[in-house]
Amino acid sequence: MAVDYSKLTTGQIVSHHTYQLDEDMVGEYLGAVKDVSDLPPRGDGRRLAPPMSMAALSLRGVVQDLQIPGGTLHVGQEFEFTKAVTVGSTLECEATLAQNSVRGGMRIMVVTSTVRDADGVEVMSGKSTIMLPENLLSGDDD
Amino acid sequence: MNEGDTLPTVEKTFSQDDVNRYADAAGDHNPIHVDPNFAAGSQFGRRIAHGMMIAASISEMMAQAFGQDWHKSGRMKIRFRAPVFPGETVRASGTVRSVRQIEDATEVAVSVQVTKANDEAAITGDARVRIE
Repeated sequence: MAVDYSKLTTGQIVSHHTYQLDEDMVGEYLGAVKDVSDLPPRGDGRRLAPPMSMAALSLRGVVQDLQIPGGTLHVGQEFEFTKAVTVGSTLECEATLAQNSVRGGMRIMVVTSTVRDADGVEVMSGKSTIMLPENLLSGDDD
Repeated sequence: MNEGDTLPTVEKTFSQDDVNRYADAAGDHNPIHVDPNFAAGSQFGRRIAHGMMIAASISEMMAQAFGQDWHKSGRMKIRFRAPVFPGETVRASGTVRSVRQIEDATEVAVSVQVTKANDEAAITGDARVRIE
C-alpha cells in the first residue's frame, strides 16, 4: 500500500528492523565505496566494521518502509557513532519522523535514527533530511 | 594535531558499477541512481551516485586519521551540495578547526568537504572526534 506522506506525524516510528552486519554486506559495501582503511582486528580478533556501513544499514529500512520515491533528494545528514561495531554484529535500527512539512512544492522530511547492538547499547544515532517533490507524490508532472 | 592542520586526502572515482553495487549493499535502489531512463528525465539528466556513498570517503579519511577513536566517538554533520555523476573523481579533505580538552579527552573538530575535479563542493560539513 502506498505511503500517504501527508498523514505521517512527527514522533511516529516509521521503520524498525533488525539486521546483521555480516561479512557479505560489509564486503559488498567496502567494494562499492572502495574503502581501503585497514584497522587491525581488536583484541578479541574481531574486525571492526566501517561506521558508514552501519549508517547505510540504518537507512535501508527507512528507504524501504517509507517507499522513498525516485527523485527524492537527500540534502543533509548527521551521524554520531558512540561505540565501535564489529563485523557480524546484530543491529536493531529504529527511525522516527522528526519533521514533516511542505514548502515551495517540496515535502521536507527529517528522520532521526538510532542503532542499538544486541546488548541494547546505542552504537549510532543519525538525522536525515530529505526533500520529496510534491508533484512527484501526486503523480502530476506539470 | 593542531588547528589549521590538514588531514591526508582521500580521492576516488566511482563507476556506475560501483553505484549499482552500493545500491545492493545499502538496499537503496532509487531509480535516480540505477535507472538510466528515469534519471534522464530528472533534473540531473543522468544517474547520480548516492550521497551516502560519497560521504563514506569523509568517514574513511577520518578513520585513517583517528583510527578507532573515529569508530567510537565520531560525529559528522554534512550537507549534500551537488550531485556526483559516475565517472567523476572526488576528493575528501579536512582542516582541523579546533582542538580542545573536554574532561579526560581531547576533542578535535574538522571542517570537511568533498570536492569534484572542477572544485565544486559536493559535500560540506563538520566532523568531530574525541581522542582518549
